[in-house]
Amino acid sequence: MSSSANTIAVGRKSPRIYSREAVLFGCIILLVLFVLFTAAVSRLYHKSIHVLADSWFAQGEVSFRSGDIKSALTDYRNALVYSPDNTKFQFHLAQALAAAGRGDEGRSYLLNLLSESPGSGEVNLALARIAAHQGLTSEALRYYQGAIYGEWENDPIAMRWQERLELCEYLLDRGLERQAVPEIIALADNTPANDAEHLRIVGNLLLRAKLWNRALTAFRSLLSTDNPDEDALLGAGTSAFELSQYANALDYFERLPEKDRATPEIAEMYRTAQQIKDMDPFAGDLSREAKASKAAKALALATARLQECARQKGQSLATTPPQTQLQRAFADVRELAAGASWQSIAKHPETLDGVMGHAFEVENVATTVCGEPEGADRALWLLGRSRRVSAQ
Amino acid sequence: MSEPTVVASPDAGPPFANEPSVPSSKQPGLRAAWQIWTNRIFTMREDRFFLFLAVLIGVLSGLAVVCFRIAIEWTQIELLGSSISPSFPRVIFAPTLAGFAVALLVIYAFPRARGSGVNQTKSAVYVSNGYIPFNTVVGKFITCALAIGSGQSLGPEDPSLQMGAGIASLIGRRLRLSQEKVRLIAPVGAAAGLAAAFNAPISAVLFVLEEVIGTWSAGVLGAIVLAAISSVVTMRAFLGPESMFRVPPFRVAKPADMLAYVALGVVGGLASLVFLKWLAYARPRIQSLPRWTEHFQPAAAGLLIGIIGIRLPQVMGAGYPFIDQAMHGQFTWKLLLALAALKILATGFSFLSGTPGGMFAPSLFIGAMLGGAVGAIEQHFFPALPGTVGTFALVGMGTFFAGFLRTPITAVFMVIEVSGNYTAILPVMISSLIAYGISRSYIKVPLFDLLARQDGLVLPSVEERREQLILTVEDAMRVDAALVLEPGDQVTEGIKRLEGKESLLCFLRARPGEWNFIERSELQRLAADGSQTHTAAELRFKGPLPFVFRDMSLEEALHWAGDWPALPVLSRADLSKLEGLVTLDDILKAFRKVPVS
Repeated sequence: MSSSANTIAVGRKSPRIYSREAVLFGCIILLVLFVLFTAAVSRLYHKSIHVLADSWFAQGEVSFRSGDIKSALTDYRNALVYSPDNTKFQFHLAQALAAAGRGDEGRSYLLNLLSESPGSGEVNLALARIAAHQGLTSEALRYYQGAIYGEWENDPIAMRWQERLELCEYLLDRGLERQAVPEIIALADNTPANDAEHLRIVGNLLLRAKLWNRALTAFRSLLSTDNPDEDALLGAGTSAFELSQYANALDYFERLPEKDRATPEIAEMYRTAQQIKDMDPFAGDLSREAKASKAAKALALATARLQECARQKGQSLATTPPQTQLQRAFADVRELAAGASWQSIAKHPETLDGVMGHAFEVENVATTVCGEPEGADRALWLLGRSRRVSAQ
Repeated sequence: MSEPTVVASPDAGPPFANEPSVPSSKQPGLRAAWQIWTNRIFTMREDRFFLFLAVLIGVLSGLAVVCFRIAIEWTQIELLGSSISPSFPRVIFAPTLAGFAVALLVIYAFPRARGSGVNQTKSAVYVSNGYIPFNTVVGKFITCALAIGSGQSLGPEDPSLQMGAGIASLIGRRLRLSQEKVRLIAPVGAAAGLAAAFNAPISAVLFVLEEVIGTWSAGVLGAIVLAAISSVVTMRAFLGPESMFRVPPFRVAKPADMLAYVALGVVGGLASLVFLKWLAYARPRIQSLPRWTEHFQPAAAGLLIGIIGIRLPQVMGAGYPFIDQAMHGQFTWKLLLALAALKILATGFSFLSGTPGGMFAPSLFIGAMLGGAVGAIEQHFFPALPGTVGTFALVGMGTFFAGFLRTPITAVFMVIEVSGNYTAILPVMISSLIAYGISRSYIKVPLFDLLARQDGLVLPSVEERREQLILTVEDAMRVDAALVLEPGDQVTEGIKRLEGKESLLCFLRARPGEWNFIERSELQRLAADGSQTHTAAELRFKGPLPFVFRDMSLEEALHWAGDWPALPVLSRADLSKLEGLVTLDDILKAFRKVPVS
């Protein structure tokens, strides 16, 4: 060894030598102290991190509610930096992304959440909404089903009802009535008979899905609750009309305030129902003469429509032997003409059905050839249809 | 059997014996318990004691890493604010001023804290017998927390590795372990530090074996695994068990889909090449600048990073939250590409300036951004591909890591561990190997070896060592070069068969597995009396010989070859069957044929 090295060796303060026991004991003591120190530091750290995360999240919520989605996104992301596994934060960020039109980004967060809790109703619903927004119908349906049958923390029954409603509306909006029907029926079946608010919603959905019978039942239930309203009468009237229960429909419509009957659709139905009532010779409380008069008028109305239809089609009704549907129908009417005066019908009330049958038949033929009638003819045609339905 | 003798030397500490000594029954209470405990500990066999120490080191390293990560977070909040989009003055001034402070600390207080920490640990193992001064651990902690927290584009993993190694080294020295154990204990601590930093014990173990030690040494493997596990358990106890990234679920549908990952492998490989070439080119030039510039290099790097950070603050710091965002497809492909390119630039600035900090996190960031960009582009042109942007980002991390750090096995396992997702294993294997291959083809020396050579250190190249040709007995053995005699064979017959074949050696097979060597002269000696009745059993022989098998390494065979004229090469299925023979000369010839790297 060189002299300089020796000098260094001599000059250096030699390390104090401890026994292994002492060193190990020191290590253990150090370990315990280090654990305590780290625990204290990490406790302080977690506390401050949680505070930061919560404050960013709260700020995000404020921004989101005020419609400032861009700021909300930044705030939620900041919150997630300090609490990366917080599913609530992730969920809100995903919703904010979806609200900002960045559905794909939101979806990836939601899929992550879904993989952790596949039964989550909330996550399924958010995914369903994104899919619905992007026009991915089958995906939307899958996630809506997931939401309906998923887990909800608060009031699961109400949430499931709500999500099924959303699904029904989505399907109806997209013209998928066939898929909507079972959902709407399930929704109706899960609606308590005394829940006016929900009955009204379900009734309207049933109307949209043209499930008239169920709609009428729903609106009748609604009418029997403590707070029936115009919607209920309107719905019941519409469904009764569509079910050809014109007397009932008229009854419901008449109970409506004047202003509610003013909408073109309702006004048309109301007028038609009134006309049907006016020309219906089968009402029980009519005199024989009145019935005969109505039947004769109905046949005359139908004959006039037949003639008008023939004129439109350029056909001559006088042709013999009759060739076309219109000509054959006219020939039948002419054959009946002698016995179809109101006096004759009044004298022979048993002919009433036959006369009305001819009137309905003539209207049907005219409808087949010239399209659906309007006004009084429509009323007569509908009356004929309802008689056929009730006979069946 | 005699009782074990314990000879204690005051300097060497208590030696290890097989039986614990019994404490005196007179010692009461705590003192007696302490005595029993220390006796049990110190009378353990040394390898068991080493395992016990590994756990202790693991826990201490885990605690240190917990404090380190908290320190980085707090520094970041204090210097850059708690938002992921810091305000303009903070973005500019925080990394610049902190860079200046870091430079002063490194120059005047902690000179060994410079760099990433991997090479420093490796050189501790190979150059300084496992010695890492504790001052380095303290320095690494302070300077890295300041640098990374202020937005320098570096990560906490490599420093954690060095801190773990430093803690282990200190313990090993204080306990006055043998020189060999002190040298081995540093990698144990390194694995513990890295495992805790990454929350990934398998990757940490593999990295230390792949990069720091370079061999799968059974002697140290158990300790490394134990240390890594105990550090991760400790870390999880304080920071939670969650994996680093939350990857959206995905599936790999068809084998053909792997083509997309092949493309990612090519892109990752090329990007890692660019980064490596840049570092290799710029580092010596930066190092050749006048010494006084070292005071300002980290500050200059901080300023440049701050300028980038005005528009893209994502490139600042380790960048983990943004990797998470990339995995959730929150960036467009253009932004992802820009982030990858600028992160390469920013990390280069930080690293070249000598700012202490690691390369792991930046390489993961770059990989994730590149992967995400490739995924987004591929999905744009081939929407039928099943992978999401998140999948590509995840696979991209491993790909770039494998190409840049040249540790493909670690890269594959790391992706699985940091994501907690096994589905990505096939894609990440494919793309990582491609990236690794590209990187290797154009830059022969891996990053850490390159840096060591630039610093004037000749550390063993793990990659070279891994690929060294291992010679087996088969490479040296001679077939049809032996005459085998049975004990009942006639000696004259043996002499006849040896005639004219000078190179033939003679073995006596006493029974399966018992082979002996017979000199030619011995045959001549016995046959000299002219009798035809002498049998081989009467011959004097050397043996029984140790035997070898053709698949054994030549180094093993070399152990015995010097003591015997020849070694029989036997069949593993039948020890009575001679497949060949090998001599010392054959072995040396075989070794000489192999080119020296």
